[in-house]
Amino acid sequence: MTIGIEHYLTLGALLFCIGFFIALSKKNAIGVLIGVELMLNAVNLTLVAFSRFGSAEVALSTQVFVVFIIAVAAAEVAVGLALALVVYRNRQTISVDRTTLLRG
Amino acid sequence: MSDFGFHLAFWSLGAMTIGGASMILISRNLIHAVIWLVMSMLGVAGLYLTLSADFIAVVQVLIYVGAISVLMLFAIMLTPRAERDNSQNIKTAGPAGLVVLMVMIATMWVAIDTDWGAVREAALTEQARLIGESLIKHYILPFEIGAVLLTAALVGAIALARQDDEDAAVHAASLQAELEGEGAVDPVDVVDPPIAADASDSEATS
Repeated sequence: MTIGIEHYLTLGALLFCIGFFIALSKKNAIGVLIGVELMLNAVNLTLVAFSRFGSAEVALSTQVFVVFIIAVAAAEVAVGLALALVVYRNRQTISVDRTTLLRG
Repeated sequence: MSDFGFHLAFWSLGAMTIGGASMILISRNLIHAVIWLVMSMLGVAGLYLTLSADFIAVVQVLIYVGAISVLMLFAIMLTPRAERDNSQNIKTAGPAGLVVLMVMIATMWVAIDTDWGAVREAALTEQARLIGESLIKHYILPFEIGAVLLTAALVGAIALARQDDEDAAVHAASLQAELEGEGAVDPVDVVDPPIAADASDSEATS
């Protein structure tokens, strides 16, 4: 049996689901960010698999797309961690369960 | 590429990726979770290499393994009195698990059941040159928007994270007090009260 696109897509789906569960269930804000990073990585893996095994027209554009996703993920992490620092400075905690100021 | 070597690379890198991600889920210490994230990212970079996407693999190692993990470690170190534990919320873990299970079944079914057509044998060559050219020629507008986005994110992160002078004074004083073993200092004691003096000054001048 040769390793085909199905293997990579299944692996990407599994990685996405683990990241999704981490992002939904972790208490710590930085833990949630780690989950989001895993989800973005899974999407990148899927796109690169399509770039390798898909038709020749999409081979380049998917990789350019991956470069953009990585850039946006870097921006997202920088702002997210700065927000975590501000929340910590004001409330001495970064637990998403205890920052309930907007609950009403 | 020999078939056996390819199989070995795929399965070991896949196990590394999924194992690292699972260890993030299990580990109770946040710093350990970031280290496992690094391992998972390295596995993904290796998988990019098996897909002969060398430029993306190098970018992955540089940005994710090099920069983002260090940024996360800095953020953890800068929040010393927050909880270091990385545990799940018991109340939301059940429903979240249910949703994730449904997503997993759907995505895997699509991935396995779909006919993805014939496999293209030739991989893309000279990727760095091709990606750079298409960024400048074909994707110039998204490229510029990305540059603006990165600049805005950088400025925003600095604006959010930088401390005002008063905050810095309070922070330094509480750290000093902690070193001397006195516990936290009341912020009111630390900031010298220039506000009242200013008010009386302005009243006197007016």
